[in-house]
Amino acid sequence: MSVNTGALSWILLNNEIMIKHEDEFSLHKDKEAVRAYFLEYVNKNTVFFYTLKEKIDYLIEQNYYVNFYEFFSFEEMERVYKFVFDKKFRFQSFMSAFKFFQSYALRDDSGEKFLERYEDRVVAVSLFLARKEGVEKALEYAEIFINQEYQPATPTFLNAGKKRSGELVSCFLDEIGDNLNGIGYAVDSAMKLSSIGGGVSFNISKIRARGEAIKGVEGRAGGVLPIMKIMEDTFSYANQLGQRPGAGAVYLNIFHTDIEEFLDCKKINVDEKVRIKSLSIGIIVPDKFMELAEKDEACYLIHPHTVMQEYGTYFDDMDMDKMYDELINNPRIKKKKINARHLLVKIAQTQKESGYPYIFFKENANRHHALNGVGKVKFSNLCTEIMQISEVSDINIYGEEDTIRYGISCNLGSLNIATVMDNKRMAQTIKTAMRALTVVSDETDIKMVPSIAKANKELHSVGLGAMNLHGYLAKNFIMYESDEALDFANTFFMMMNYYSLEASMEIAKERKRTFVGFEKSAYADGTYFDAYTSREYAPQTDRVKELFEGVNIPSSADWANLKAAVKEHGIFHAYRLAIAPNQSTSYIMNATASVMPIVDIIEVREYGDSTTYYPMPYLTNDNYFYFKSAYDMDQMKVLRLISVIQRHIDQGVSTILHTNSKDTTRDLSKYYIYAHKLGLKSLYYTRTRKSSIDECVSCSA
Amino acid sequence: MSKKFTAVNWNTPENDYALLFWEQNIKQFWIDTEYIPSKDIDSWKRISPEIKEAYKKALGGLTLLDTLQSHTGMPKIIDHITCLQNKAVLSYMCMMEAIHAKSYSTIFSTVSSTAEINEIFSWVEENKHLQFKAATIDAFYRAIDKENPTDEEVYMAIAASVLLESFLFYSGFFLPLWLCGQGEMVASADIIKKIIADESIHGIFVGLIGQDIFKKLPNQAAVKERVIALLHHLYENELKYTEEVYTEVGLTADVKEYVRYNANKALMNLGFDAIFEVKQVNPIVLNGLNTETTQHDFFSKKSTNYEKSTEIVHLKNEDFEMDATVNI
Repeated sequence: MSVNTGALSWILLNNEIMIKHEDEFSLHKDKEAVRAYFLEYVNKNTVFFYTLKEKIDYLIEQNYYVNFYEFFSFEEMERVYKFVFDKKFRFQSFMSAFKFFQSYALRDDSGEKFLERYEDRVVAVSLFLARKEGVEKALEYAEIFINQEYQPATPTFLNAGKKRSGELVSCFLDEIGDNLNGIGYAVDSAMKLSSIGGGVSFNISKIRARGEAIKGVEGRAGGVLPIMKIMEDTFSYANQLGQRPGAGAVYLNIFHTDIEEFLDCKKINVDEKVRIKSLSIGIIVPDKFMELAEKDEACYLIHPHTVMQEYGTYFDDMDMDKMYDELINNPRIKKKKINARHLLVKIAQTQKESGYPYIFFKENANRHHALNGVGKVKFSNLCTEIMQISEVSDINIYGEEDTIRYGISCNLGSLNIATVMDNKRMAQTIKTAMRALTVVSDETDIKMVPSIAKANKELHSVGLGAMNLHGYLAKNFIMYESDEALDFANTFFMMMNYYSLEASMEIAKERKRTFVGFEKSAYADGTYFDAYTSREYAPQTDRVKELFEGVNIPSSADWANLKAAVKEHGIFHAYRLAIAPNQSTSYIMNATASVMPIVDIIEVREYGDSTTYYPMPYLTNDNYFYFKSAYDMDQMKVLRLISVIQRHIDQGVSTILHTNSKDTTRDLSKYYIYAHKLGLKSLYYTRTRKSSIDECVSCSA
Repeated sequence: MSKKFTAVNWNTPENDYALLFWEQNIKQFWIDTEYIPSKDIDSWKRISPEIKEAYKKALGGLTLLDTLQSHTGMPKIIDHITCLQNKAVLSYMCMMEAIHAKSYSTIFSTVSSTAEINEIFSWVEENKHLQFKAATIDAFYRAIDKENPTDEEVYMAIAASVLLESFLFYSGFFLPLWLCGQGEMVASADIIKKIIADESIHGIFVGLIGQDIFKKLPNQAAVKERVIALLHHLYENELKYTEEVYTEVGLTADVKEYVRYNANKALMNLGFDAIFEVKQVNPIVLNGLNTETTQHDFFSKKSTNYEKSTEIVHLKNEDFEMDATVNI
């Protein structure tokens, strides 16, 4: 779309939502904007085909689609197209339509004309995922897509079925070893993974600190900052064919001596050489640190290289609860004394200025981790919901064998809570969604980064999430901060856990194959099921009981049966669930994002490429009150709800804190303390709502 | 008898707004190099030559106004303000004006060639409407460049400054906001939005100081008439300037409406009633002005919402005593 003279009518209409008449927004303008967008833009710019056959053949012959004829007859494909188009799908808001056509619809090579509508994309994804299972499976996938019950993550939804496309997987993580080969491997991986469209996250805690020894000569090491600079440039260079900027994150253990410098890189007025603009940063916080802060005891940062020389292992791999005292009492370990509470406040200050860092609570992530018998979770990803085992690979010089260990690969998708609940198809939708995610894992082989490929091949991890929690609650007149919301979440996410496990067990049974290491997991010894066989999770409040009417809720007896079945057949996926923040995809689904509260009744959305006004789904004059902004909510209550969800999720939940300018560093720090005590595994961004000066003047006057 | 020098004492408030504006200013602190206008290079290539031309002129004009404000306006006014805390806030604002003036260059140097940039700067020097704006405002600043100007002279300089900040800038801001609302030159618009957020508090603050002085004037009606006359004088020129910059891109009518809208705002900052009838300001631009929180995707753009944190509050023992049991 090129801007020349005169504004585009649909953008104008979408902006006119904000004009108030008698104190009400002009919500109807949004529907007019959708209509204008289709009539004046989409329809005029869509390639027309006389018949379905002509369309399919053209797309295949012109190298847009893979050759679906290798897997389906024309008649089979026609069935799927007919099924999907007969559903008469309509976009509910301008944002949904605009986002789909801007970012997902297939265009011709000139970039001018659309070759797909929403329905076409749904069919292409369904056919592609079902190409080895047949047309019946394609219809199943198509149904959950077009009903908007389940939405695959962007890489899958964008790329599936296209001949020239990126990978279907979204998310990669890896460790970096403390030597040039290890760093080189990481930079190389970053570039390759970024170029295929992944968000990449690295744990840089193993890198020796600034001023440590290199080859025994003290004072030579550059620390973590120079590596972050290289990473930042690498991600910005290797974007996905210029389609979207590369994105990456790095995590540092809070006991690493470079931690203060690491946090300072996001400050506004800092030297260009040490400023990190586009790379995301996260910190790894062991329980020990929170304990030192609580007791207000002296806290020592540790020089990682001295630990390696003394003990032969990385300090980041150690259990700090056990090893911290040993390390600080050992005179050969170099350390630096700081005040833990002051560091918490510094984190809060950095968050107020930049939204960063993410916080990963290491022991919380490992406390109920089912694979503790295999390894530990050490860090998280770009959106703080992926939490899996990892171990640094040993990369050698040319001619010598590398020892490749687990990186992390994860593909994601989200249930739409509102449609799944309304259609009362939880069991079926979750199982079909798990199949769709499994196909993506099966089909993925990131050969160019062997540690990632190994993890996918052996662990088959996926991450099923959920969106539209606030939308669903509001639509049913339930306040997000209420006890009823807790009640709903406790049952809903228990069911997600149950049916995803059952699906994973069924797949293992069919294929006679489990993930590698299953026998050492808490699934195999049955301890994972203790929380479910010992109590019921059915709803307790009347309002929520009504919502689940006609839905079969798994009981403790069902869980006991599942436990036995898992013991017998194993499960296929090492990890199954992760609640992603899902931004773009929630717009297409006309849903509220993830399990987070909304930010505004009409959201002002800035992307790199547009500003759009998005009235919240289901918003009417009757339920206005239930669409309370996250900025006006008690964050403690938000965290409480997330902690209930987290109980049932084997990986993490992307959790955003919404604060106001007037919130102090102490207020923020208290959120971290509370989140940690609640057992949350991570905190994602902190967003801040600015106070405008009008507000200030009127308050003081 | 030698003059007594007084130290600024922030422990005793001199009025009820200086500290408030000081803090808000500090919170809003930013520098141009935090932003990444290079992301706009593709967009720059995409937009039409006419729009490019208008964009460069708009930014060139803005640079001139910010230069005038930081080099002459603010320093001259500071000289004649008696409240030391107000002086401090004005000095800070003066420094920000210099950052604004430089930040346009940051955008220029990212998207334009040196030859094009030089061309624009000489256009700024040659354009009679732009020069007229600068000269008109400058005359009021120069009038107080002496030992003991009258209250009226100081007031008029302040009023001129408010007209500059709250009114004359906006014909230039229109285009970046309008483009940004349609997804073009978005990263550069981040910078423009920071400038607008600053200018809006500058206009209010200087306006409040002006109102304090206005109250002391014996001939208020006559002075008010002078301000309105000055506004009309500048307004006529602004219409011509708008035509010159925006006619080729077909936005003249919209920009003029926007100019009237902001003229009214400038008057309100000075404590006067609006005089122009404004029907409907282009909603894309109006919405772009809303500087409250917007949602954004951290991976694709930098946020304009974060502020420098000025207040550090430490943790106490009781902050760790929390009940984290959830009964469900």
